[in-house]
Amino acid sequence: MGKKTPIIQLRSIETIYEGERIPVIKDIALTVNEGEFISVIGSNGAGKTTLLETINGILPYTGGSGEVFGKDIIKHGSDIRKDIGYVIQNIDVNPLSPFLSKDVVLSGRTGKIGLLRFPSKKDWDIVWESMAQVGMIDFAKRPIGKLSGGELQKILFARALAQRPRLLLLDEPLSNLDVNSKRQMETLLNRIHEQQRTTIIMVSHDLHYIPSCCHRILVMDKGKIVMDDDKKTVLGSKIVKQLLRHEGVL
Amino acid sequence: MNSLPLYFLIPSILGAILAGFVCSTMGTFVVRMNLSSIGYCMSHAAFAGAAFGLYIDVDPLITAVFFAFVTALLLGPLSEKARLEGNVVMGFLFSMMIALAFIFLYAKPGDAATGKALSILWGSLFSVSYNDVLLLLVLTSTLIIFIVIFYKELFALLFHRKLAEASGVNTRLFYFSILFFTGFAVALSLKLVGGLLVFALIVNPTSTAYQFFCDFKKIMIASPLIGIFSCLLGFYLSLTADFPIGASIVIVSSLIFAISLVLSPKKKKGYLFPRKNVTTEKKVL
Repeated sequence: MGKKTPIIQLRSIETIYEGERIPVIKDIALTVNEGEFISVIGSNGAGKTTLLETINGILPYTGGSGEVFGKDIIKHGSDIRKDIGYVIQNIDVNPLSPFLSKDVVLSGRTGKIGLLRFPSKKDWDIVWESMAQVGMIDFAKRPIGKLSGGELQKILFARALAQRPRLLLLDEPLSNLDVNSKRQMETLLNRIHEQQRTTIIMVSHDLHYIPSCCHRILVMDKGKIVMDDDKKTVLGSKIVKQLLRHEGVL
Repeated sequence: MNSLPLYFLIPSILGAILAGFVCSTMGTFVVRMNLSSIGYCMSHAAFAGAAFGLYIDVDPLITAVFFAFVTALLLGPLSEKARLEGNVVMGFLFSMMIALAFIFLYAKPGDAATGKALSILWGSLFSVSYNDVLLLLVLTSTLIIFIVIFYKELFALLFHRKLAEASGVNTRLFYFSILFFTGFAVALSLKLVGGLLVFALIVNPTSTAYQFFCDFKKIMIASPLIGIFSCLLGFYLSLTADFPIGASIVIVSSLIFAISLVLSPKKKKGYLFPRKNVTTEKKVL
C-alpha cells in the first residue's frame, strides 16, 4: 500500500443539537484514511448516527474542528456532501408516495449533476448500473410506496451508490434485510470497497454481519469513542462482550 | 348574465385558467410536504391585509398581496427558529392574522369596509382586471421556469429532505422558495376564488391526481390540468347558475375528487403493481 491519505480528520469534535445543552458526541478525535472500511458499534443513544451526520455536515459540529477531503465540514458542507453517499437508518414511506424507484436513485446524483444542469444519458447509465448492483433493476418503475422494507433499503443503497461517492456513510444498512439479503449486501459492500476503493463507515448493531473487508472498528459509548482498533482486537475485547451482553446477544 | 359580451369576460376566463394552474401546481408540493394549512394561513393573512388596506385607505388588494407575501417569507424562518412543524407555525400565524383583521375592521367601522374586506375572502367573478391577469401570467411563467430548471432539486427535497441535503442540495433555499411561490399563488388568486376557498383549489386537484398516478412527473402534469378544468367549469357554473365564483370552483373540484375516489385504480386490490416472486438479487449479486 502506498502513502495513506487522510480523508476525514476530526479534532476534539463536539456536537450539540440546536436548543439543547448536553453534547450528543464529545471529544471525538478521528482520522480516516482513503480506502478504509470502518464499522461503528455501540448501544442505542451512543451517538453513532450523530457521528455520521457530523461527518457529512448535516449536523454542524459545535466544538473542535473537522475536515473531510481536506475541506472544513461547516464552510464547505454542500460541496463535500456531493462526494458522500449516505444511507439513512429508517425512512417512513407513505404507500401512496408518487416516486418511482429509478427517480429516487437518480435523485442521489442531484448534487453531483449540479445546479442548472439536466441529467444526461451518463447519469441514467449510472442509475441503471447502481440498481443492477443491488439487484433492483426489475423494480425501476415501481413506486417506492409499493416496496417492502428490505427492497426500499436496497433502493436507498443504490441511491447512495449512484452518487459515485468517495466516502459512503451507512447507518445500519442491513437492519431491514432478511438473512439472504444481508449476505448479498455484505458481498456487495466487500466488492465496492475492493474494486472502487470507496472509503466506507458503517454503523452496525449486528456484529455477525460486519463485512470481511472491514478491518477497523470504533466502539462508541455515551457520545465518546471508547475503543478504536482492528477488528480482531475489538471483537475479542471485554468492552464488546459487555456491549453484546447489554444488547442481549450474549 | 348570458348576454354579457365576451370581451367583458376575457380577463375573468384568463384569470380562472391561470389561477387554476398556479394554485394546483403549488398543490403538488403542498400536499406532498404536508403543508395543507398554508392555504388557511395565506388567505387569512390576505384578509388581514385587505382589512389593513381599508383602514389606511389603500387598495385592499395591494395590502392583501403584501401581507400574504410577508407571511410567506416569515413562515420558513419562523418554523426553523421555533423548531416546530410548518403546520404548527401556520396555525399560530393563522390565528394572529384573524385577530389583526378584526382589529383593523373594528378600527374602521362601517358595513362597506367590512363588505370589501370580506369580498377578499369570497372572491368575485368580475373583479379580475387585465393587470391581475398580467401578474398571474408573470407568476405562471416564473413558476414553470423554476420547476423545469430545478426539477431534480425539488424532486429530491420532496422525496426526503435530509437525504436531499446529504446529496448536496440546498434544501433550505428550495423549501423557502416553495413557501414563497405558494404565498404568491394564493395572493394573486384571491380576487377570483376568494381567500377562504383558494385552499381547496390547492389541495383538490392534486388529491385527484394522486388517485390515478404513481409517478410524480405525471402528477405534476395532471394536477394543473385538473385545476384549470375545475376553474373553467366552475366559472361556467357561476355564470349560468349565478353562484358565487369561488364556491362554484370548489364544488366542481370537490365533485371531481369524489368521482376520482370512486374510479381510482389504486382502490382495486393489486391492480397497479401485483407482487411477483422476486428472484432478481440472485441474478445480479
